[in-house]
Amino acid sequence: MSLERLYLDTLAEATDQVPVSRARLLAAATSRRRPAPDVPAWAAPYAGRVAALDALLGSVERWDQVIVEGWTLQELVAHLAAKDSLLAASLGAPVLGPPIGGNDGLVRTRELQDFERERQPGETRRFWRDQADALCARLPEADPDRVIDPGGTPFAVRDHLLARMLETWIHTDDAATFNGVRLPHPVAKHIHPTADFCARLVPWTMLLSGFEAAARSVRLTLTGPGGGDWHIPLDVSRVAEAYQGESTDVALSCDVVGFCFLLGGRGEGFAWDVTGDGGLAADLLTAAPALSGP
Amino acid sequence: MEAPVVDDRLLHQRVVGGDETALGELYDRFAALIFGLALRVTRDRVIAEDIAQEVFVTFWERPLAFDPERGSLRAWLATIAHRRSVDHVRAEERRKVSVLGPRVYERPADMEDTVLAADEAIRVREAVAALPGGLREVIELAYYRGRTYRQVAGELGIPEGTAKSRIRSGLRKLAEALGGEQP
Repeated sequence: MSLERLYLDTLAEATDQVPVSRARLLAAATSRRRPAPDVPAWAAPYAGRVAALDALLGSVERWDQVIVEGWTLQELVAHLAAKDSLLAASLGAPVLGPPIGGNDGLVRTRELQDFERERQPGETRRFWRDQADALCARLPEADPDRVIDPGGTPFAVRDHLLARMLETWIHTDDAATFNGVRLPHPVAKHIHPTADFCARLVPWTMLLSGFEAAARSVRLTLTGPGGGDWHIPLDVSRVAEAYQGESTDVALSCDVVGFCFLLGGRGEGFAWDVTGDGGLAADLLTAAPALSGP
Repeated sequence: MEAPVVDDRLLHQRVVGGDETALGELYDRFAALIFGLALRVTRDRVIAEDIAQEVFVTFWERPLAFDPERGSLRAWLATIAHRRSVDHVRAEERRKVSVLGPRVYERPADMEDTVLAADEAIRVREAVAALPGGLREVIELAYYRGRTYRQVAGELGIPEGTAKSRIRSGLRKLAEALGGEQP
């Protein structure tokens, strides 16, 4: 190994001309695997996960075995295309495949799973990617702060894209784990807004789970690249923001990716450091996956 | 010299995330090395260019085949480049055998699937042994004994910058001894 390293360092020292054209290389590369769709900065975290799932789909062969939610990879990819298509419809972007029968994630999922069932994996991959690209192509004209409700969930457009990012990321990780592939994390600047979105969801998870905590508040410290420090009032009429020394009922600290996955319903083995009200921390942990669907 | 592991991880994250500027950076850093490696094996500039391009395209197309936990990106790219180059040379040999007939064409000794074939490894060791004393010392410390620049400097009682530039001079001498880029 040491001799090989020496050999490569020697060759690197010996060669200084680069004969391959960089432009030719990039053209050849992107014709074999599409780069992340070109989107405004607020949607870049989603575009990155689209490219990552596409990379994974290009390297796995087992499309017909159940991965998660009782779905095969083909059904999982159809599910992602279904959710993307509902958002695309709300934004006036093209909807591919059969027309949408109802503004509901699971109804649309079944429509597309039936549609894909007889098709080859490569066709399903292309269909999903084409729908994601069609959605992304619409975003430069979209107002990121407009509230819309695809699938009955009212959020600002920018938050819908972060929700799509999180779901695409989590299902890519499901499929990677199933295939024994180690999926690298998104870059920090894509993780941070996703973690911020998850932090802002926390009061809603408490409300949906029936915990009376509107008068209480949390300091949430997320560690690792893309992390940060949030002050979260557990009142849905208020918004989580950067922590600025407020006094809170409990302080929680954990890995930023672990926290995003917890909100996304992948909290197995999750733990956080708790300072303060342990009962409130336990309720927060119970409530956290409340908004994660299939 | 080899980039730190954290750079490999970041580049890998960016390539998986479909960021083609990361592929451009990777190309700027390693294209000369990968081309040089392919050229040493194939002895054909046009073929070596095609192989070098294919190595980077392969990484872009299937970036999850690389795992930063298991080795450096540079070594991974070099391994693919070497394998493709050897495949090319073998296919050429088979073609010559079928054109000339097995009795007329004598195939060269078998090539290995590692980046550094046994005969080339011997030449590297010989070239290191033939280096002037001062240069040989730093190369042996840095590569045979795995010392960092700082450790090399400390053991020899010289400034770190001097250790660094002496290692580079050693590498350039080795490159000359191995015949440089030109086959």
